[in-house]
Amino acid sequence: MPAISIDTFFACSLMVLLVLSAMTATARILQPLINMPINVEVAQRLGEIAKRILLYTGKPVDWGQNAQTIPEEFGLAEAGAVSPYALDVDKVSRLNRENAYCLSYVQIFTSLKAADLSFRIEIKPVFNVRLNPTAIFEGSNETVYAFEVASEKEDGALVSTILRTYVLAESLLQTNDIQNFGGRTSFNITIPNTLPSPAVLIVFAKSMYNNRATSYAVYSLAHLSEPPRGAFLRLSPINHTLTVASTSSEAILRRVYALTFNSLWQLTQTGSNSFRIPVSSDVSPTVLVVFGTNATQPFVEWTVYPQVPIQTGVDFASLQSVSDVYAYEHLVSIGNGLYQCTIFLGGSKT
Amino acid sequence: MKGRNSGQIRIIEAFLAIFIVFSAIAVSANITAKSPSSANNGLASLGMQALLQLDSDGSLAAYITAGNWSGLRESLNLLLPAGVSFNLKVYDNQMRQVNTETVSSGGFSSQEITLVKYVCTSQAPEFRVYVVYLYLAVAKQ
Repeated sequence: MPAISIDTFFACSLMVLLVLSAMTATARILQPLINMPINVEVAQRLGEIAKRILLYTGKPVDWGQNAQTIPEEFGLAEAGAVSPYALDVDKVSRLNRENAYCLSYVQIFTSLKAADLSFRIEIKPVFNVRLNPTAIFEGSNETVYAFEVASEKEDGALVSTILRTYVLAESLLQTNDIQNFGGRTSFNITIPNTLPSPAVLIVFAKSMYNNRATSYAVYSLAHLSEPPRGAFLRLSPINHTLTVASTSSEAILRRVYALTFNSLWQLTQTGSNSFRIPVSSDVSPTVLVVFGTNATQPFVEWTVYPQVPIQTGVDFASLQSVSDVYAYEHLVSIGNGLYQCTIFLGGSKT
Repeated sequence: MKGRNSGQIRIIEAFLAIFIVFSAIAVSANITAKSPSSANNGLASLGMQALLQLDSDGSLAAYITAGNWSGLRESLNLLLPAGVSFNLKVYDNQMRQVNTETVSSGGFSSQEITLVKYVCTSQAPEFRVYVVYLYLAVAKQ
């Protein structure tokens, strides 16, 4: 074989090899770039949808206040809000399943007008108050309850707070203020054994460093036998009105209270089963407590306005197979308080 | 003689091809410059919302005016989600640094840092403008 043929063969083989390796290398380098715009585009689109849910008032703008109104277009923003990410108290409350006027998944899905999406909306305080009863000392005349209270973020980080505790029964009111440096403390409460009605312990917590970050916890004191929540009444607060629906034919309402961090009111009846909730400038949510009797058995039921925490929509975690699900965390204000809102969106065609 | 030279030219061609192909690879490697990632957008959005909420009742400017850097740090710690590290710097309208202490949740272990710029004004009797630079990163475990 002549030398020129060997040279040509060698040169051609080298060129083919180099071209192939160059193509492989270029493909490997460009592959992420080819895929990335699609993912980024989907994430951006879903992010805009999540923002729209929080920044748009919906249609009609006051759909939250009217119990019978189903929104044509879904949005949780407060009409006329001065700052962005301010959510409407009533729209938020109507996402809670405990509320008799809550929107169903189908109603939200339809008004969202995004046929290729499934969603989940979670709203919760920026930190939680965890009440843990550590001991009960029963005396002949009174019972002493010892509690440990912790205010902490979801990751377990403790939050220094100012606590206001209320012990409330039909004929009893005790209040106490506690400086909770470091986020964990303990306290005792004493209740007479002769109380005719059950009592509840309500704890409000306000961050020492941010007045608008608040949370609460409610604990039923079981010195009387206590049925589970919702056994006798369904409490639905919207438009500063508490509507009470009896789930038992023998339930009779006796007293209704509204409590915030700084205030307490006894509510007066404005309709057959409705009570006016005072407009509060407090940053904390309003806890509504209803005392009543069912036949001869006294009971207490409670709810909160706005009805947070909320978890509504598809439970993506329990699904066997899930396409891409995107979570968008937002810091929102509801009323005067701060809350954390997470919107999960998924199921989009890519 | 002519046939021998053409073999040598092909070798030169091969080396030229090597040069061209590797140049192409080198250039295309640089094309993989960062495109906007959704994670960075999310961090920027979280940081902006935290500053917006702090500023909505004037507490951001109040912390800065009072020089309450520990309060500002705790407040940001509370509002930002778990796993997000931050470092905050405050400048006046002449871009001189105002914060005398470090306002940070700790060292950044991530290389992807997002910057949020925010301008706020003091509600104190004296009108002041502050430029806030909030650096955010996802803390690595």
